[in-house]
Amino acid sequence: MTTSARPKPRPSLARGGAYLVLIVLAIVYLAPITMLVLTSFKTLPEFTRDAISLPASFSLDNYLEAFDKANFARYLVNTALYTAVSTIVFVITGTFLAVAIARRFVRGSGALFTLFLIALFLPPALIPQFQLILRLGLYNNPIGYVMLFLVNPIGIVILVNYIRTIPTELDEAAALEGISYVGYVMKIVMPLIMPAIATVAVLHALGVWNELILATIYLTKADYYPITRGLIVFNGIYGNNWPVLAAAVMMIAAPMALFFVLMQRYIIGGVTAGAVKG
Amino acid sequence: MRYLFGNGPARMAPYLLVAPGLFLYLLVAMGPSLATVVLSFTDASGLPRLPIHFVGLDNYKEFLTLGAASKENLQALVRTLLFCVGVTAIQFTFGLVVAILLNQGLRGTRFFRTLFFFPVILGVTIQGLMWTLFLYPIGGPLETLLNWFGLHSEFLGGQATEAFVWVMVVQIWANMGITMVIFLAGLQTIPDEIYEAARIDGAGRWDLFSRVTWPLLTPAVNTNMVLTIIGSLQAWQLFFVLIGYRPGTQVLGYLVYATAFGQTTGSTAGNTFRQGYGAAAGVILFLVVLAIGITTQHLLRRREERLLG
Repeated sequence: MTTSARPKPRPSLARGGAYLVLIVLAIVYLAPITMLVLTSFKTLPEFTRDAISLPASFSLDNYLEAFDKANFARYLVNTALYTAVSTIVFVITGTFLAVAIARRFVRGSGALFTLFLIALFLPPALIPQFQLILRLGLYNNPIGYVMLFLVNPIGIVILVNYIRTIPTELDEAAALEGISYVGYVMKIVMPLIMPAIATVAVLHALGVWNELILATIYLTKADYYPITRGLIVFNGIYGNNWPVLAAAVMMIAAPMALFFVLMQRYIIGGVTAGAVKG
Repeated sequence: MRYLFGNGPARMAPYLLVAPGLFLYLLVAMGPSLATVVLSFTDASGLPRLPIHFVGLDNYKEFLTLGAASKENLQALVRTLLFCVGVTAIQFTFGLVVAILLNQGLRGTRFFRTLFFFPVILGVTIQGLMWTLFLYPIGGPLETLLNWFGLHSEFLGGQATEAFVWVMVVQIWANMGITMVIFLAGLQTIPDEIYEAARIDGAGRWDLFSRVTWPLLTPAVNTNMVLTIIGSLQAWQLFFVLIGYRPGTQVLGYLVYATAFGQTTGSTAGNTFRQGYGAAAGVILFLVVLAIGITTQHLLRRREERLLG
């Protein structure tokens, strides 16, 4: 998404006002982040003496301590696994769903699409989901946890809308080559809808990565914790040792900032997809 | 659409490949979602081998009319509505103003847009912990700032109302970026020529906004209104991270979670899981969201007709 420059003469007073608003707001956005960064480098006595002073030195001791005590490597691997597995499964099953719906390859595809459209307006599934996982014997089990993230109705809607914009002549050309249906979806459609797949995958992955509540409900064994749950538990134990806690939060937030800068186009694309037209 | 990839058994390929995705969707999303209504008429608990009994409307009666708890429930409902109104009004206004400022081709636009959207991707855990530190009550940054102006706040540990307002602030800080990018996308669909034409006709800055930008922004206005209203009615996770389950602060969404998963007493022992009762609370929240959602849609459509003819 690029901002189109609107070249027009603006009085400098108005421009000054615009910058004033933006800069004040930027401070509100930067201040909590700055506080986190600074605190993560301070010693506990420094923090207790003066919470807002600058750190005396930029030592990584807090980071080492947090990494050492909190088992973050384990949590990070868990989160990465949950995110990767659920996103891959969702993208593959979701693409086959979306192609069939968009091209009306299955009977009742209109009704099928409605089924995903209304998902946004249904009651929360939280409680019966728990009963289901419990009865399947998958409580406190990573497989049961991942199962909850294998669907994403908004993702299906985005994919369907995108596939509909691709001309059907391509289907005919592919069919003349005698390609199978699986080959058609994997080799013809998938490369063409990569921007939509990237958007949907990134949005889905972010959701799984950041999930806290379901992790709190379903995973009670520390070995299974994703990073979010790990952080909250760590907060419970180290609640008063803000320097170490801040370092722990930083270790998760910094890679996400990098990811965001690299993937910004897809993330913002996903948030605005269909939002303006639909 | 004609199917081009073979006949006979090969015609079944799309059906077979739709099946896994559809099955998963029905199993973990659609099915449980509808089952919430069924469960709300039972005494289901969190224990796997305990029998479930049909109890009719008992859960609803208890939730709405029984003793002190029902009073708290109704207060939670009022709080949910207040949260929704406050968050929607402020987030909508800020999102609109910032989007318009960032659509002027000013220098640094990209930086500001990135910064304002950044909290969205962090998720409630990091958002919440970051603000818990920022609101550190003993000489923390905001404490110090307020003291300069002779003000004082206990922040998240203070009066229930006070803590509630701070959660609102964090909610807006965390999600304003979404509103902003949707408005920006809407603004970019307005062709420059319309502005040019209006300016040639002698339109001033305010005219440009009220006669051109605002009406042509209607799709984005509608989307943002609906998303923010429904989102803030259902939001409760920041309450969970920032203040936990505290009397006088909880909203309906949190109530559903807390009753169904035994967080009210701070214990996670299975026998405090009141899932049937929690489901009833969930259905009540759903009905509130539905009623407000439909009303909003209706009002927005009437406005659109009036505006665009």
